Amino acid sequence: MRIIEGPISPAAISEIVVRGGTNTDSGAHSLFLGQVRKDLIKGKYVKAIEYSAYEEMVMMEANKILKSVMSEFNDLISLEILHSKGLVNAGEISLVVMVTAGHREQAIKACAKLVELIKDKLPIWKKEILEDDSEKWKQE
Amino acid sequence: MEINVLFFGVLTEVTGTHRKHYRGIRSFSDLKYRIRDDFPGIENYNFRIAVNNRIVNEDPVLNDNDEVAYMPPFTGG
Repeated sequence: MRIIEGPISPAAISEIVVRGGTNTDSGAHSLFLGQVRKDLIKGKYVKAIEYSAYEEMVMMEANKILKSVMSEFNDLISLEILHSKGLVNAGEISLVVMVTAGHREQAIKACAKLVELIKDKLPIWKKEILEDDSEKWKQE
Repeated sequence: MEINVLFFGVLTEVTGTHRKHYRGIRSFSDLKYRIRDDFPGIENYNFRIAVNNRIVNEDPVLNDNDEVAYMPPFTGG
């Protein structure tokens, strides 16, 4: 798990894809990209999201969920999570999850599971910045 | 004892701060009352509390210099 200041660049994404490809035992990579959506909120568009995190706890919880997914699926080779903190504009990437496995079925299932666990377990918060610079904490 | 309290998400706006240091805390419930007195608006929000990075459900025993975090529902991803 790595926390990145600002958006996750195309270069950072291709770097983890290339690194995953160096393992020749794997037959499948499942890659999830989370993007900041230009939502319309009461007539105003979201222009960016500002992420904040309780970083120490994020790292601890991330280790737990990575371990639990690794032990649930026996065909996995590696897991990778990148998450932004700070400001990420609409259209930019704020979350990358990559699962490398022997075969596609577990790669896809484990990737979906990880994304749900990230949303559920990691102490990260988002504040939407609207086009008129007003701000709104996302409440779920 | 001395306790470091962290606030996250919308609670940083409710309290006007990200961090507050408390002295002379006798127990976890004592700390909760002190925080509620300092920031009465906090009771209008949902939050979970972590002590030293672990979410607590019942009142834990606090030790000197523990870190207590007030966390609204997570919205990452």
